[in-house]
Amino acid sequence: MRPGATITGIGLVSPVGSTAAEVFDAVCDGRSGLSRPPEGHPVHGVVDVAAIAPPIDPASVLPGPESRVVDRSIVMALRAAGDALADAGLRVGRDVDPYRVAVVVSGVGGLSTLADQVLRRAERGRFGVSPYMLPGTLPNMAAARVAITFGIRGYTSSVGTACAAGAQSVGEALRILRAGEADVVLCGCAEAPLFPTFADAFGNARALARGWADPTAASRPFDRRRNGLVLGEGAGVLVLERAAHAAARGARRHADVLGWGATNDAYHPTTPRPDGSGAAHCMRMAVRDAGLGLDDIGYVNAHGTSTKAGDAAELAALADVYGAHPPPMSSTKGVTGHLLGVSGVLEAAVGVEALRRGLLPPTHNLDDPDPAGDVDHIRKQPRPVAVDAVLSNSFGFGGHNVSLVLTHPTTP
Amino acid sequence: MTDEIRAFLLAALTEMKYDVDDVDDDTVFGPAGLDVDSLGLAELAVRVEDRFGVAFDDDEAEMLAMMTLGEFSRTVAQRIQPASAH
Repeated sequence: MRPGATITGIGLVSPVGSTAAEVFDAVCDGRSGLSRPPEGHPVHGVVDVAAIAPPIDPASVLPGPESRVVDRSIVMALRAAGDALADAGLRVGRDVDPYRVAVVVSGVGGLSTLADQVLRRAERGRFGVSPYMLPGTLPNMAAARVAITFGIRGYTSSVGTACAAGAQSVGEALRILRAGEADVVLCGCAEAPLFPTFADAFGNARALARGWADPTAASRPFDRRRNGLVLGEGAGVLVLERAAHAAARGARRHADVLGWGATNDAYHPTTPRPDGSGAAHCMRMAVRDAGLGLDDIGYVNAHGTSTKAGDAAELAALADVYGAHPPPMSSTKGVTGHLLGVSGVLEAAVGVEALRRGLLPPTHNLDDPDPAGDVDHIRKQPRPVAVDAVLSNSFGFGGHNVSLVLTHPTTP
Repeated sequence: MTDEIRAFLLAALTEMKYDVDDVDDDTVFGPAGLDVDSLGLAELAVRVEDRFGVAFDDDEAEMLAMMTLGEFSRTVAQRIQPASAH
């Protein structure tokens, strides 16, 4: 068994709260983050329903002149990273050598800034294009801005694995810590997909939920009537730390990331492999990497986006791994919507709370499980069960599968 | 013309979220004054090129950091009206 790493800080920007506890409460209480985009919102009239995070004044995270031209994804990343560091009680330079801190913060980049600049160029030629488009758009800039803002000088990168990117960033962080290349890694993701072109792409791909009179009913993972995902925005950053480093500075440990797995379906750019074999292998890999057995997993936080094909493939994967006796499972996206790459981080935070409280969150809107069968869905109410380990799945366009294993703080 | 250019620059800087309350003709664009960074200067140059139909080469754009608001306004004005300046 290889060593795990410990989560000492959690920072979230989401439609349902900015701490793990708030998000967990919303999920357990069925307090939905889904709504009709109000008049004046960029996707008002573009999508039926979205998961919108609270506004953040860019000037609260960046100096004035820079705040004008920064993409919302970066603003949310900076807020989440600042909150995560505060939660960890960690100041770079005071508590840790800046060169021993790494950043892996991912996301698709500032695509709305790019779209805006493309429109301006079409309208006005080269004079319409701001040189600030580059720091506003490049996908590494969330990680770079976090490094600049907090004086972090070690390894920095972002991974571009779509909706698996957040979970994969946590996995990469674990790898970096195991290799001894850093003592602390800020890992996570930020996504700001709520602008017309991007939303229309998902809509035209028939990936979005539609036709729901009640917007809070639109995301319904594993339910027979599900008809697509609900786009959401947000950011999530974890402070992941070598356990010995956390112990030496007397830090509170939320939970450990004990193992991870990553595979590819090698099947289709957007459709998951129907037999779920890539995801199944990924789950087994993560459990083995954690030095655990499959039976040690007490709860599976599913990717479960509420699409027909995605949910079906995940259930096939779970059946492949567990046969007729899978652990209790839920998808929290019924309440949160799908925050793309951020979902893996948000759901890791949900896993942390599930471990801490001995309470498993339900899948919201799961009225009629599809298919009925050997799946232990947590429905309607949270289920009080003390568990030792949580498996959290994230799957992305491109066939990327990532699974994380979370446990109580155990790593020495 | 210099007044119009000065007003344009101040408006552009305000839009770019720079505080121009204490700015006058002797304020430099660089760290000793407005502290506009390299991308900010590049954007300002593009805006002036667009509005007044002048062109700056790369060296001139870098020189901007050293200039005062007044110097830059006069430079642009001279370039717009080379004929009438003589």
